[in-house]
Amino acid sequence: MHGCLTSCGVLPGALNLPMPPLAATEVGSYAPVLLLIIMAITFAVANVVLSRIFGPRREGNIKATTYESGMDPVGTARKRFNVRFYLIAMIFLVFDIEIIFLYPWAATFPNIDHSTDQAMIWLARIFFFMLTTVIAYIYGYRKGVFKFD
Amino acid sequence: MIEKLQTLWPEITLFIAACAVMIVGLSGTRSIRALCTPICGLALLIATFLSLGGLGGVDITVTGPLPVLASYGKAMVGVIGVILLLLIPGVVDREFDAAPGGPGEAPQPPRAFEAIRSNTAEFHAFFLFSLMGLMLCAGADDLIWLFLALELTSLPTYVMVTISTARNRSLEAGVKYFFLGALGAAIFLYGFALIYGGTGSTNLEAVHASIVAQADAGGINSITMAGFVMAIIGLCFKIAAVPMHFYTPDVYQGAAAPVAAFLAFVPKSAGFFAIMLLTATLGWSFGASGTELPGPVHSALYIIAVLTMTVGNVLAILQNSIKRILAYSSIAHSGYMLVGIIAGPGGGGGADSTLSRNGLSAVWFYLVCYGVMNVGAFAVVASLERRRADGTHDEIDSVADLRGLCASRPLLGWTMVISAAGLLGLPPLLGFFGKLPLFTSGVGAGHYLLVIILGINSAIAAYYYLRLAAAPLLESRDPAESVGGEIVESPYRLRTAAGLISAVGVVALALGLGGPLGSAATSVGQSGFAPSYVGRRAADRSPAVIPAAAHTVDDEPRDVEPAADGSVDGATIESDGGPPDARFDHAR
Amino acid sequence: MTGFASAMSALTGAATLTLGQSDFPHPMHQVTLAHYLVLSALLFGIGLIGFITRRNLIIMFLCTELMFQAAGLALIAFSRFHLNHTGETFVIFVLTIAAAEAAMALALVVLLFRRRETLDASAWSELRG
Repeated sequence: MHGCLTSCGVLPGALNLPMPPLAATEVGSYAPVLLLIIMAITFAVANVVLSRIFGPRREGNIKATTYESGMDPVGTARKRFNVRFYLIAMIFLVFDIEIIFLYPWAATFPNIDHSTDQAMIWLARIFFFMLTTVIAYIYGYRKGVFKFD
Repeated sequence: MIEKLQTLWPEITLFIAACAVMIVGLSGTRSIRALCTPICGLALLIATFLSLGGLGGVDITVTGPLPVLASYGKAMVGVIGVILLLLIPGVVDREFDAAPGGPGEAPQPPRAFEAIRSNTAEFHAFFLFSLMGLMLCAGADDLIWLFLALELTSLPTYVMVTISTARNRSLEAGVKYFFLGALGAAIFLYGFALIYGGTGSTNLEAVHASIVAQADAGGINSITMAGFVMAIIGLCFKIAAVPMHFYTPDVYQGAAAPVAAFLAFVPKSAGFFAIMLLTATLGWSFGASGTELPGPVHSALYIIAVLTMTVGNVLAILQNSIKRILAYSSIAHSGYMLVGIIAGPGGGGGADSTLSRNGLSAVWFYLVCYGVMNVGAFAVVASLERRRADGTHDEIDSVADLRGLCASRPLLGWTMVISAAGLLGLPPLLGFFGKLPLFTSGVGAGHYLLVIILGINSAIAAYYYLRLAAAPLLESRDPAESVGGEIVESPYRLRTAAGLISAVGVVALALGLGGPLGSAATSVGQSGFAPSYVGRRAADRSPAVIPAAAHTVDDEPRDVEPAADGSVDGATIESDGGPPDARFDHAR
Repeated sequence: MTGFASAMSALTGAATLTLGQSDFPHPMHQVTLAHYLVLSALLFGIGLIGFITRRNLIIMFLCTELMFQAAGLALIAFSRFHLNHTGETFVIFVLTIAAAEAAMALALVVLLFRRRETLDASAWSELRG
């Protein structure tokens, strides 16, 4: 906290101070990323260009149809989907977001002395958190989200 | 951590009830579904009891800028929540309920229940979640906490508005409300981020300590200041104040009246809790007199207050819809209450600062008064409906629909008269006693121009409030007017009861109950103001306060992280200990 | 890592600046707090302007998300600057709220589209006073 206070005092003038150095705060250390981007672009462009140059070209009706895993295309591509898919997506979102809380918890929990009360509190906390998700799941079940008929 | 948990019993009660309601409300049996409202009511009453220090004197006060606010705010939310709850039956799922039947008509047969088309469970659960968020706002001591509580208050209301009627106008209201709400949330979130950036902490006490340190060192840095101003502008959405007020009339008109009543109280209170916590974090110890908020925040609030009052009142004159009038009046009232925040806790802020001097207490007192009076006005609108020839029903909307109400339905008519006159602030009624401390605290703090504008606006407001009061009392109903359908009383009689309770509340608070409430509000306004918060001139500031304040903060929520845990606490520990350069060493 | 980074810097022609070097700080080739703040402010501004000027509801929603993420970026930068984890913790919660808002926004958009078959905000102006 004291460290924070000292840094606050200098903040207005400190905007042009560098961030505390981690590797990722220096431009130079982004070079691999830049290299990767260049490689990705080169690979993609080269593939298109090379197949243009070397590939055989036979146009035709069959070739112009939409590719649907080898089946004959049925109906329009702008087809509406059942709104139930939306509900499934919402349930997915609940579990999706739950994960971002579970990860930090899981990364920290092994560092606690497991014989102390502190560890039990941590465990209770995450169980309560999971419980809320279970309630959401029960609610979704009662609501009929998982019924397909 | 555990200590903090103990202050949360009211919220935990509401949470358990909300989960129960979410399951119970989906039952196929109507009598089980009907349990939703009693469960909510019971939970709110228990929560109120707990927040008043029930259950063997569990101490509900929290740390932070305004410790007593938690208890006062939660109790206030619980009580007004019960009145709001009485308006709820019949808002959603009328087709699945047999309507209780008005006088002289048979109950209509209900439709077969379908869980996927029912909204009872969600509506009641969201109602409780929103109130829970509001209670969490009252007990907030951290910016993260405050942000989550504000969002927990707001997110359910977006849904409540949208599902409150099956008509397109509710949907439109919901969309407008949601999009502007998301904008407001993004703005105050950015403000919170800047506050954190400028002070290095999200804990309100630590932020305050840092601000005091910065002020002593020659001025609060611009990032912190910009953060506070942005946060307050973003919060204007919640209190329906000027830069973010556009949605208010549309949303109140589009939502069903019970939900509009909810919107007029709950998000507004959340906004005031948050603004009050933020301004208290800054402290009223700046400006030429040493009793003002820091310059930029002071000017921002001043401009917002003046514009909000004026815009709200002037535009309300032009309206014919009751709900739009009440919406603009809600905007105007936010402006009035901001005067109390600008005035601050008055000289010293200690025990000598009574209700008439202490702007904060005035705001807390007025918020309760406004909540009670406003629910009454909306309850009258909710209790009346226009039944068309084809059997459909709709809410009444125009002021003309109120004509002759005192003669035809005296209870509703007089409730409307009392509520409107109360909102206007006529002397024997509650609104007057609520507004008076705002005036006196403004004068006490020396903001004469602001108080004059407040007075002028109160006079403008008389025009439309008297219209609302005169239509039921003095005008008589023209039979030729019932072209759109006959106006009947809603079959849900609890709504009338809510109106009556609030009318009785308005009278009772004015007659004598206001005294205890006022002293409670005063204690909130006086609480927690360590000398560093209020009325200290720059010369009086002693640096000794800072380490002490920082120390108390260290014992607080951060110790939830285990001390042995290097990976989490490492950075903090290093920045605590070594010389300033240690900050840069730790990565090497 | 250090060797690799310096090799890469040499490769891209950037000034070689490795961790632990004594000429720190080196203003021209360092990402400072101000860079993050400017980027975050730009994102926020783009979001705000987009929200005001665009009329498509999904675009408007994306703009509010952009503003949320701008705040998130500022929080993380400040968190790094102050060397505590508060800002990063805040960001996790911000993401949660953003997801909740996304769920709600998409629900509203689906509802609206089913009623009016358009996502133009100006198609919805029944309420006026």
